[in-house]
Amino acid sequence: MMWSWIPGNWSLIWQLTRANAFLGIVSPLIGLAISVPLGIAAARWRWFYPPVLTVINIVYAVPALALFIALIPAYGLTNTPVVIALTAYSLCIIVPNVVAGLRAVPAPVRQAATAMGYGPLRRLITVELPLAVPVIIAGLRVAVVSSISLATVGQLIGVSSLGYLFVDGLQRSFPTEIYVGLFLIIALALICDLILVGLRRVLTPWAATRSGRLPAFAGLRSRALVPWAPLGRP
Amino acid sequence: MITFESVTKRYPDGTVAVDALNLDVPDGKTMVLVGPSGCGKTTSLRMVNRLIEPSEGRILLNGDDIRAQHPSQLRRGIGYVIQQTGLFPHRTIEDNIATVPVLNGWKRAKARARARELLDLVGLDQTLARRYPHQLSGGQQQRVGVARALAADPPVLLMDEPFSAVDPVVRGTLQDQLIALQRELRKTILLVTHDIEEAIKVGDLVALYRPHGTLAQVAPPERLLAEPADDYVAGFVGFDRGIRRLSFFPADAVSLSAGPVLPTDATAASALKSGEPWILVVGAGDDPRPRGWVAADRLAGLDGETRLGDVAVDGFGHTFTVGDDSLRAALDAAVLSPAGQAVGVDADGRVLGVASFDQLRAAVQAAREADDAAAGAAP
Repeated sequence: MMWSWIPGNWSLIWQLTRANAFLGIVSPLIGLAISVPLGIAAARWRWFYPPVLTVINIVYAVPALALFIALIPAYGLTNTPVVIALTAYSLCIIVPNVVAGLRAVPAPVRQAATAMGYGPLRRLITVELPLAVPVIIAGLRVAVVSSISLATVGQLIGVSSLGYLFVDGLQRSFPTEIYVGLFLIIALALICDLILVGLRRVLTPWAATRSGRLPAFAGLRSRALVPWAPLGRP
Repeated sequence: MITFESVTKRYPDGTVAVDALNLDVPDGKTMVLVGPSGCGKTTSLRMVNRLIEPSEGRILLNGDDIRAQHPSQLRRGIGYVIQQTGLFPHRTIEDNIATVPVLNGWKRAKARARARELLDLVGLDQTLARRYPHQLSGGQQQRVGVARALAADPPVLLMDEPFSAVDPVVRGTLQDQLIALQRELRKTILLVTHDIEEAIKVGDLVALYRPHGTLAQVAPPERLLAEPADDYVAGFVGFDRGIRRLSFFPADAVSLSAGPVLPTDATAASALKSGEPWILVVGAGDDPRPRGWVAADRLAGLDGETRLGDVAVDGFGHTFTVGDDSLRAALDAAVLSPAGQAVGVDADGRVLGVASFDQLRAAVQAAREADDAAAGAAP
């Protein structure tokens, strides 16, 4: 570990961290925007869910690197292939959570809402979606953390991220770079996860008062924080 | 007035849930639908607010076919209470109660003020207004459910097993509260239960279903107990219906005797002179509350000058309140009393007299004859 390397490369580190954060945060947010309507449709029309699930599972099975490369002809060596791929992976995580969240709305609650005089759309927006928020955010947490981690693989097709520190460190047999990259990925994931936990607390005060039993770092239990996992993806 | 006109509900698989139902629910009355599970009582209820659509026949609300209105509009005019409460977990108690007023376009502040009124009405503390449903007990949640159903002051209330999920003590309290509320509000209530005791307690009218969606009998509860239409009804009502019917007869008509009642400052000798086998000792002067029973045999062994207040007494079980309790309570008091006599008290607990089994039997007979005559005159 060569501590002096860090201050000397401060601007490079900062630039890579920002690039990594952008890829890791924007992709799941786009994924969320697509997942909510998709999940609503899948929860409403039961026949629709199995094909959706099959498609997103197949996408999830495609290795990240292969997916990036496959997208290069269409988008070139830009951020776009990485964002598209990470968005697709986010769908795989968030859509099932949207469906699960909506299905978990207790039948008596749904029935009472109808009997009070809610139309289907108003019931969805003001009763069912708010009740699904904790489950949706749980999925978003996993998606964000794993996207931050997976974004580093983009380095292999030349898209800037903290992955640069891994590749460069490996080529130069310079472990300090790898450790710094590792540390920053973990720190970035932790910070984003904490922000999402805070967001859930704010959005669902009714669930927060239930007790502090929701584990604060549930989203971090994915393989995303195991640094070699992104490269080892099938 | 809710009217079912030969309403049938048949499911695609051929199951008939409700079979050509004809039923009138009079304005301001509580009609209880009771029967075994799967008899179609809940289906009948849910057809009124169109959660289920009938296959045949029609349902009228004050003479108008309910299908003339948009379902959402119809439902906002009908209160709905269910067993599992169906409260919205993500809304505070006041916002839960304010649901229908808000749907009707009220300003939130006005709707919340209305919610506060309803908390009072159902006997819940104002401090609960800002809590979430899961922070309340089952009984409190059920009260909130009733408050929510009443928020927009609908003339009709549908209640689907509203008290089945709470423990028996809370259930009794909630039933009493519903009866009290109904005395004040005079809603047209359709209530579903599988519990015949509940039906008899809260109903002005009871509609007893047979399995497979037909009616066995529709009658006021006391007539159901007095004259079950057939063996099925008699069996459903239960074998001690004679005793239970007594809850509908007031105990006022029981003639009370004052003979065995003596104050604590009376002497054993004077008690023996009365010739009564049992003496009810009550407080002296202006406090004639019951202290307990003492057998004449025991007094005979004592010094004649002994004050009754100094003699050990047996408990008196419970008393019945003249002007409030029923003959059933009076009979029960007699059964529990060591002397075989029921102690009648006034609203303040002062003893008015005691009634023997003979006196109770005479009162039961008189009440039954009067009731049967009234039922025969106005069927």
